[in-house]
Amino acid sequence: MMRASPLHDCLARLDTQWGRLNDMPIAISAGAEANTSLQLLDLSALRRTGLKGPGAASWLQSRSVCVPERANSWSGFADGGLIARLGRSEFLLEDAPPGAVVSAVTDALVAPATGVYPVLRQDAALMVRGEAVDELLAQTCSIDLSAGALEERAVSLTMMAGISVIVIDVSSAHAAPCYRIWCDGTYGAYLWETLLEIAVELGGGAAGLNAIYPDLQASGGNASIQS
Amino acid sequence: MTRLAPIAGEWIDRSHAIDFEFEGRPYRGFAGDTITSALWASGVRVLGRSFKYHRPRGVLSLANHDVNALVADGRSLHLRADVTALAAGMRLSPVNVFGTLARDRAHLLDRFARFLPVGFYYKAFFKPKWMFPHWERAIRKLSGLGKLDFDAPRGRTPNRHAFCDVLVIGAGPSGMAAALGAGRAGARVILVDENARIGGSLSYARGTDARPRELLERMNLDIAACTGIRVMPATFAAGYYADRSFALVDQDKMVKVRARSVIVATGVMEQPAAFRHNDLPGVMLASAAQRLIHRYAVQPMQSAVVLTANTEGYVAALDLHAAGVQVNTIVDLRADAEESDAARAVSEQGIGIMRRSCIFEAIVTPDRFGVRAVTVCRLNTDDSPDSASRTEVPCDGVAMSVGFAPANGLLHQAGARMLFDEGIQQFVPNGLPAGVFAAGRVNGVYDLTTRLRDGERAAAQALEHLRMPWSAPDVPAPPAPRCPSFAYPIVEHPDGKNFVDFDEDLTVRDFARAAQEGFDSSELLKRYTTVGMGPSQGKHSNMNALRILARIRGRSIGDLGTTTARPFIHPVPLSHLAGRGFTPVRRTPLQCLHERAGAVFMQAGVWLRPEYYAREGKSKTEAVTEEVLAVRRAAGLIDVGTLGKIEVSGPDACELLERVYTGRFQNLKVGMTRYAVMLDEAGVITDDGVVARLGEQRFYFTTTTTGSASVYRELQRYIAQWRLDCGIVNLTGAMAAMNLAGPRSREILAKVSDMPLDNNAFPYLGAREGVIAGVVARVLRVGFVGELGFEIHLPAELAAHVWDTLLAADAAVTPFGVEAQRWLRLEKGHIIIGQDTDGLTTPLEAALEWVLKMDKPFFVGQRSVQAMRARPIKHKLIGFVFPPAYSGPSPKECHLVIREGEIAGRITSVAYSPTLKQIIGLAMVAPEMAAPGSLFKIRVDGGTMLEAEAVAAPFYDPRGERQRMSLAQLQARYRSQEVA
Repeated sequence: MMRASPLHDCLARLDTQWGRLNDMPIAISAGAEANTSLQLLDLSALRRTGLKGPGAASWLQSRSVCVPERANSWSGFADGGLIARLGRSEFLLEDAPPGAVVSAVTDALVAPATGVYPVLRQDAALMVRGEAVDELLAQTCSIDLSAGALEERAVSLTMMAGISVIVIDVSSAHAAPCYRIWCDGTYGAYLWETLLEIAVELGGGAAGLNAIYPDLQASGGNASIQS
Repeated sequence: MTRLAPIAGEWIDRSHAIDFEFEGRPYRGFAGDTITSALWASGVRVLGRSFKYHRPRGVLSLANHDVNALVADGRSLHLRADVTALAAGMRLSPVNVFGTLARDRAHLLDRFARFLPVGFYYKAFFKPKWMFPHWERAIRKLSGLGKLDFDAPRGRTPNRHAFCDVLVIGAGPSGMAAALGAGRAGARVILVDENARIGGSLSYARGTDARPRELLERMNLDIAACTGIRVMPATFAAGYYADRSFALVDQDKMVKVRARSVIVATGVMEQPAAFRHNDLPGVMLASAAQRLIHRYAVQPMQSAVVLTANTEGYVAALDLHAAGVQVNTIVDLRADAEESDAARAVSEQGIGIMRRSCIFEAIVTPDRFGVRAVTVCRLNTDDSPDSASRTEVPCDGVAMSVGFAPANGLLHQAGARMLFDEGIQQFVPNGLPAGVFAAGRVNGVYDLTTRLRDGERAAAQALEHLRMPWSAPDVPAPPAPRCPSFAYPIVEHPDGKNFVDFDEDLTVRDFARAAQEGFDSSELLKRYTTVGMGPSQGKHSNMNALRILARIRGRSIGDLGTTTARPFIHPVPLSHLAGRGFTPVRRTPLQCLHERAGAVFMQAGVWLRPEYYAREGKSKTEAVTEEVLAVRRAAGLIDVGTLGKIEVSGPDACELLERVYTGRFQNLKVGMTRYAVMLDEAGVITDDGVVARLGEQRFYFTTTTTGSASVYRELQRYIAQWRLDCGIVNLTGAMAAMNLAGPRSREILAKVSDMPLDNNAFPYLGAREGVIAGVVARVLRVGFVGELGFEIHLPAELAAHVWDTLLAADAAVTPFGVEAQRWLRLEKGHIIIGQDTDGLTTPLEAALEWVLKMDKPFFVGQRSVQAMRARPIKHKLIGFVFPPAYSGPSPKECHLVIREGEIAGRITSVAYSPTLKQIIGLAMVAPEMAAPGSLFKIRVDGGTMLEAEAVAAPFYDPRGERQRMSLAQLQARYRSQEVA
């Protein structure tokens, strides 16, 4: 059984070389890997989970998950994943390969404690990076997301191109400005197409995950959604 | 050619020649030229024709404050030649001319001007009524400026946002000083100016003083060195919006700026004097002449008269003189001698001065396209001309410098209070909103040194507002006050043609007429005369109009006040306003599979849904009919992922549902579902869905497709308001959903799932969690389409796998779309909220009394329903049918039900039922028409009246047996259908 990214068909229309990550076909390359001005990447394949409720923070802490203290802030896991605090009592957790925090938390959420409510996360998860990122964000978002405009490790719950998104600045871990964006998966194709259209105008394009995970291997062929 | 020798600081690049056409003739200019400067340099003096009288017009402001020179370049209409950069290959033509500028057939209108005074059209064209279409066509033809190309390709205009600590609008000396003050203190500054280069008056108002140019060069370097300052030239601030948001417009796009503070240093706009023939080509504002000289190295005229009432006029005379122009005389409206360095320099140059005098009229050249002289008169004590003292002074141009109007539109929009300062004859800010500051000439400060200090002062105040470090600037003692604007630069003339508004061809006499008609307040005067309502938006006319009105009424200008200033202060291209369209579209995770299956999509709110699946050689109706029959006879599969999907958990989860839905849920057993209807406080139906109880304290429920966001938002509000101990999760996007329906659905589902599916283990209205095609899913046994059905809910990322597996499980499974679902549910008499109900429909009207549990302590809308029950209802939703043999036109949704010639209701749903083989529908009608068997009329397209019969719904399987079928019953039914 194969998971499918909300952006699978968007990437399938590009010159994509496919691989597999976490049981999901992923774009290893999509054409703009060498383009450093602006790249769009689909990170929907990363494992993620969510939870909310008055007991969520303490429940996570009891499982040795380091919880960001401030509302609307995020922190990273030692293995590359992250936890974002959405408001006061909701959390989004995402593993970077080969992280295992999300799997452990997801398993534990089968029987959550009182005041802890699991949140199924099926987001379209994007990364935008490159020198032209600020221009891309300025054309799609009405709040200032540029470096220095927000508190350190801030989580922005805002509108981008007319839809609700979660945005964090992860530039510190990259050589160029870099942002992570999550949106409802059913809006994913729309957001991807909108951002890609502007990105192309700005001289950028879509890139595959080899751009950030060089060890990923191509699976060969042009994988279909049901492969 | 009137191009001058190179001038220090000129904006043109003489190494880069640009060829272009104007009215079909070739011309050459330079990079950096505007269209007007290039034409003027080529000796072209008539740049356009006026809007109403088609009078020849040339340069007036050369600053976007008038539209004398409005031209088209192919599909680009209404280019303002004064400020539009010259580009290679331009093929320009004037927009308001019948023929050519030299031979404009409409010039005759000028001869009839006295028969076409202001307001004549209010009285002229409405009688006789039958003539109006003729007049309308004629007026449209005369008043249209340019011809729109409807085949023009759609442009892609970016829509951009920007942010800063300090937005400085206007890059004259005070604006630049303000930007430097804020930028050096560490603020993020945006410095915006409508001109192609920053500098404001420093770039053109020089005289014999070298300081302005030196100062400009130094400040340019300083700004370039200050990393915190972002300069946006050729960009104007078009409007102010709440929280210091501004629309900045350049040639390509609009930028929406959110500024933490703003400094408005927009300066002033030079105003024309009104005298007879003041609109002839060659008569221009002194600042326009200076801009031609210093920015574009163009000699504005050869022989000049300078009309002035301020120091700036003397500086302009020196600039003209330095450019080789013969300045024949300076006509000074004032009685007192000008005491300034410029005046002394003028004397040294031997230029004559006529004090306390005015230009009575400009004398037209024989070809009527220019000025050959002016008549100068002495002024009486009441500012009227002494016509007995006429003197004729030869010239081919006039430079007017009689006063200024502040460019304070943005300050008005920001809510600034304005005070008319009689000393300087100008409105100045007298109370600014927090975070908004004014600096420079818009603030009433004219001396150059003081303007610089005023900019620094504004920067310090902005920094203080931002709580950033600031230091008080060194403010020297203010210079002796001088009045830059003459109180009444208006000269009456018995033959008129003394223009006040050049856009609308309004003369001094027009204002007197308006006042005589009773339109004697600033707002009424504007609307009657249309002063300031042209493309210039009053930039060169509002101030003089106000001076005339004040003089007519014997009131001070401060008493009269100004008209309201609204965004935009300059016209903005529609393409900029449209920008890039963000129209979010939501797609279920099965979208690509639908596309591959040939789905024809429709919009359902923000969603794209398959309306039906196209079949080769078949019409839409035939395709939908096949889908309907497949569901009725075997099994169909529909994507219902657009339904709202919400989970609520916690000790008070049930209590929440009890309060927000009309039904009862305390007694809902775990593993069962129940239909649920939601009302608003007024008792109006707002949403419906199915609630499944997954555990004692855990519920999962659906909402309508369009209602998911609003229901989720309302529930969050209620939880907080009622302080309930429960958590709510919106799973609309995270969960996919599909409905496998039809008599064979159980059998087919059994092929891909080990879940017990028989009636005992999984009864009708049951809810189970199980594994389907290897995926853990929630399955609800509901029957919206009136057949045995299983609604499967599962994580979105696995939906495609399950959908494909179900289709592959049995060839009988047919995907069906929204249209088939509508027909199926209509056969079953199930309503769709929002289609069969509207924003006023109550459960009593929609035949939903059965969902009202009035014995509950509370539900939202309960009290309203109680009140409604005491009154008769006004409408009732009923079923209707047409006779099976009927073959005429079908009614459509929203067709009206007519009784005795009056509207008595409307059709809410209608379709031809492939199952029942007749037209069936739902209609909202008067209650007395609702009895089964009643006949009523429906008015369809073309006015035809059709007769329908009211019947009880459901139309199909009224006892609901098919939804409840046991496996044995199903198999028997299926076999009988096979035989049939």
